[in-house]
Amino acid sequence: MVVIESSGITDVGRKRKGNEDALFLDNDQKLYVVSDGMGGHKAGEVASEIVVETLRDYIKRFKKGNDVEELVDSDETLSKKANRLLSGIHLANKGVWKVSNSNESYSGMGATVSTVYFDDKTFISANVGDSPIFLVHNENIELISVPHTVLAEHEALNPEGAKSLGKEYAHMLTQAMGIGETVKPDIFETPCFKGDILVISSDGLTDMVSPEEIGDVVISERPEKACRSLVDLANDRGGKDNITVIVIKIKKITKKKGGLLGLISRIFN
Amino acid sequence: MPILTLKFKDSNIGEYDIKEGQSLTIGRLDKNDIVIENLAVSGRHAKIDGMDDGYLITDLKSKNGSFVNDLQISSHWLENNDVIKIGKHILIFAYKEGEKHFESAASGTMDQTMVMDTAAHKDLLAKSVPDLDTAMKKKESIGILSFLSGGEGEIELTKKLIKIGKDSSSDIVVGGMMVGKTAATISKRPQGYHLSYVEGMSKPKVNNEAVKESVLLKEFDIIEIGSVKMEFILK
Repeated sequence: MVVIESSGITDVGRKRKGNEDALFLDNDQKLYVVSDGMGGHKAGEVASEIVVETLRDYIKRFKKGNDVEELVDSDETLSKKANRLLSGIHLANKGVWKVSNSNESYSGMGATVSTVYFDDKTFISANVGDSPIFLVHNENIELISVPHTVLAEHEALNPEGAKSLGKEYAHMLTQAMGIGETVKPDIFETPCFKGDILVISSDGLTDMVSPEEIGDVVISERPEKACRSLVDLANDRGGKDNITVIVIKIKKITKKKGGLLGLISRIFN
Repeated sequence: MPILTLKFKDSNIGEYDIKEGQSLTIGRLDKNDIVIENLAVSGRHAKIDGMDDGYLITDLKSKNGSFVNDLQISSHWLENNDVIKIGKHILIFAYKEGEKHFESAASGTMDQTMVMDTAAHKDLLAKSVPDLDTAMKKKESIGILSFLSGGEGEIELTKKLIKIGKDSSSDIVVGGMMVGKTAATISKRPQGYHLSYVEGMSKPKVNNEAVKESVLLKEFDIIEIGSVKMEFILK
């Protein structure tokens, strides 16, 4: 079992009039979600809200004690919990898609989703779009989400050719929640270690602050203070977009010890 | 209030104002604000929203698509002199003289996100990536563990998280007195395959070096866990 200290905040930034980001932390279910919405008028806010609420409500159904039937259609390369998260994401996508088709003012709306969900000693990370998820392990920060942008996908296939692509392709998404009837999230399962730190944010943070700087802040400050510092840093540099960040610190990983020894250690922990 | 100038084959057909806070619809049906009577145009083809921080054009899932400066879009923040193509007609978006422009790509930073149409993306990829098929296959390469001792044959690392250890529920079962129930895991991440030590008195070795926590595997690395020795290959 993983013992976690976490915190998350969202800020409208210095330039935008509204906040189209949404976030959600559930320390009970150990589920953390960031969603960055887009679209005309209030559509962006609606899209990200649908994503966050759908995922939150879906995963809550699997709370211990509730009797929920397991999914029929599952991916064999993934664990049970990862399949669950994937289903939640597909459900959220359909939710946004349906609303975007129901009302002309919502047409074209979409959102990114980046989420971390903990299993026994591993964490599952999944994303659609370009909101980043970072893992800080042994003082090294690594991007563990896959950016679904035209530029990033080009770079992955042809680094040389990607150099000649215009800068506008850096933020142009190749997929987002709600744009189509289905999505293909990138999903990974990774073992966690004591001291590891996970950061989920919207690109409003990473457009203004480098990964190395993010790493420095989360290593040296506790999650709540780190979130505040990162938002302030992005705002100081212009705050061009909405800024959202969740910081998750792994304090301890406890082993399930059976028998008398296990009982004793659980009493004293 | 910026203006939209509707043109067809070089002749100006009409001019429309876009007010802030308003939406302009474009299509073949009469109820649209801008009516374009042409079979290449859908009944409800696109709309332009005048918003707080700019003017956004959105394609309403039209049959033939909407284009801005020859790029097919689903949603796009408009800039001065953008050329919108709907069917065979053109709409030029222009701010009036002296009017305030909403900054976006013009200032050098694209801070508005939009989604690229899948077909358009495939086209773009085909144009700028030589030998797209091989490149895509390379990107999706799967790791394989080939037994050198302690087992036979090969194991494809298709699962995202593979457990190796003494426990019978492990994906790769390994014997040995000092080997943990789950001795190690191999997880597939964007950067590649990582081997992590989980528990047990003896640690897994990669190229004869003990793995204390986690290591990124390179092709041809030799992995030793308990009684088993394997080579890591990429297919």
